[in-house]
Amino acid sequence: MSHAANHPVLDPTIAPPFPVAALPVLRNPQLRKNVAHAIDVIQAKRAKLVNEKTDWQALREAGSAIRAHALDHLGAYLEEFETRCTDAGGHVHWAADAAEARQIILDLLRQENASEVIKIKTMTSAEIQLNPFLEAGGVGVFETDLAEIILQLGDEEPSHIVVPALHVNRSQVREIFARRMGLENLSDDPHALTAAARTYLRQKFLKIPTAISGANFLIAETGAVAIVESEGNGRMCLTLPRTMITLAGIEKVLPRFQDLEVMLQVLARSATGERMNPYTSLWTGVTPGDGPQNFHVVLLDNGRSSILSHPVERQTLKCIRCAACMNACPVYRQTGGHAYGSVYPGPIGAILTPQLMQMQHAQSLPYASSLCGACYEVCPVKINIPEVLLDLRAQVVNQERKQGGRFFDPMYLGLRIANLLFSRAWLFHAAQWMGRIGIKLFTGKDGWIHSLPSIGAKWTQTRDLRGLPSQTFHQWWAARPKEAK
Amino acid sequence: MNEAVQSRERILNRIRIGTGSATQDAAQAAAYAALPRGYIRHGLRSADECLALMIERLREYDAEVVECTPEALADTITAQLAASGKHKFVAPPGVPSEWLVTPAWKITGFECDIDHGLTTAEIEQAEGVMTGAFCGIADSGTIVLHHSAAEGRRVLTLLPDWHLCILRASQVVETLPEYFDRCLQPPALVTWISGPSATADIEMTRIKGVHGPRFLHVILVLDQSERLTLN
Repeated sequence: MSHAANHPVLDPTIAPPFPVAALPVLRNPQLRKNVAHAIDVIQAKRAKLVNEKTDWQALREAGSAIRAHALDHLGAYLEEFETRCTDAGGHVHWAADAAEARQIILDLLRQENASEVIKIKTMTSAEIQLNPFLEAGGVGVFETDLAEIILQLGDEEPSHIVVPALHVNRSQVREIFARRMGLENLSDDPHALTAAARTYLRQKFLKIPTAISGANFLIAETGAVAIVESEGNGRMCLTLPRTMITLAGIEKVLPRFQDLEVMLQVLARSATGERMNPYTSLWTGVTPGDGPQNFHVVLLDNGRSSILSHPVERQTLKCIRCAACMNACPVYRQTGGHAYGSVYPGPIGAILTPQLMQMQHAQSLPYASSLCGACYEVCPVKINIPEVLLDLRAQVVNQERKQGGRFFDPMYLGLRIANLLFSRAWLFHAAQWMGRIGIKLFTGKDGWIHSLPSIGAKWTQTRDLRGLPSQTFHQWWAARPKEAK
Repeated sequence: MNEAVQSRERILNRIRIGTGSATQDAAQAAAYAALPRGYIRHGLRSADECLALMIERLREYDAEVVECTPEALADTITAQLAASGKHKFVAPPGVPSEWLVTPAWKITGFECDIDHGLTTAEIEQAEGVMTGAFCGIADSGTIVLHHSAAEGRRVLTLLPDWHLCILRASQVVETLPEYFDRCLQPPALVTWISGPSATADIEMTRIKGVHGPRFLHVILVLDQSERLTLN
């Protein structure tokens, strides 16, 4: 609102490419400082708690195998979840895309005559842009996670999937709360700010009878849903209202209840650097006398099923949304989350977003990485993100090659010529011979090249280039004295 | 309605194409059984070390912990309530009545409503809540509620600002997998509590107490003889 021109766009269909979107952050020292501070704190805590776990690699191995297995048999596990959840009194809905999911949720709210709804933080709802749709449909939406309140009241966009407001510092939070809650004398002490949020929400929790949540895990064996949180706003939303609507990506399913013994050990350690997050809740359909008596689960596809058919890319869906990859990423650390033009930033966003878009948008994201591999190393379910990045880059290139206009693109022309030269030895040597003659024209008497024409000038503008030696390596190798072998 | 059925079939069909199968088969069960599970199931600590770890972890979360013998439990509860400075409490119906009746109660003027269908507003009025627990997990300092009659409905341990949880030493396990081993049937409702409600959303500064109870007190009942028979 305050700076509409720079307002980040997180809709991949209209977001600018990564290098363009990254510029406002790179030019904003305050934002970079906020991001770096938050990430340093999480990283240090994570490293300490992962190091104390002597079976960490075995947990990763098991976590990876469980998630991969669930995806291999996704259809069967989803049907099992549907049956068990329905048996327990829940209602299961299937949404093929974002528009269907939004409409299902709005229709459910209308059946309840709901004019207001409270929400637990769910990135999936941000993915389908649920809030503006509900508001337009006449339903007031109240986020209840502290970070989400900051974003909602400040008209900000999420920049991280676990701590979505990490780019906002305490004085900015104070300004937002003071303005939107009418608290002029609010201090910028995080305790005071948190207390203000508690007061702001308490009556909403007690009065609004309808809630929306995401899901960390769906349990096929029992039809249960699990939510992992810290503040207790989740428990409020899934205990006090009459009606609960859970929006979950189809990939969130785990075969059995017992599989949580792996997931709950790796998730909090990876996400926030805690041995266990303060509250994890699990519920199964409807329990008479305890919690919401109307319970709906909306299973969202929205591009996920199309990822399954690629054997390399399928691992993307193993993700349990811990955000360890973005915390470890040297690129994310510099650009923050908004540059990724999606609610899923960082390395996982760089592979997930273009695939959810069926490779029709966000094609710059697979390049938003130095391929250093830090993300793979920290991933608790061993998603080989660099491997997927490379595969997606190949897909992007193949797409581009099919576009007619690319035929005369200098880079593609150059690569085609290189392909021709490098695949034939005689052509390579001929080109080398001609190139050496050409280069000599620009080599000074001191053996250095000080200025090159055309594209070469881009190099010599800022630095000199050493002239070529008198022999090539091939020539030297063939002519070297035999006793030196 | 028809549209909804279509979406279901459409999604399941896409999954079928993507994975090559979508129906349950013998291979699925075999593949599940063969999943690698090389992580630590059983801790190596002695019973005493395990309790010491549980206490250490709880204190790291700023939870208050006191230990007592089974005989001293009622008095310890009274002392904890008195030290809390609060007067109005709630408790689930399955809490043993001997926990709640000691001579000191009348003097100090405690009120304790048993939850035989209290309204949300009534629970919101309570200053504190007292419950049992299903299990304690030492490795992460976690208290697990399965919301049985002694642990109460979920709302009971949510609205009051102060939670006194009575945990028996025989209920404490070392590792998370050991807790799952104690679940003979998958429970329908679970709340895993690891310290009081907290947030770090503002500059990663950990703030205690956002929406859930801000104060967690644990009485650890040293029923070691029971534990010995269990092991």
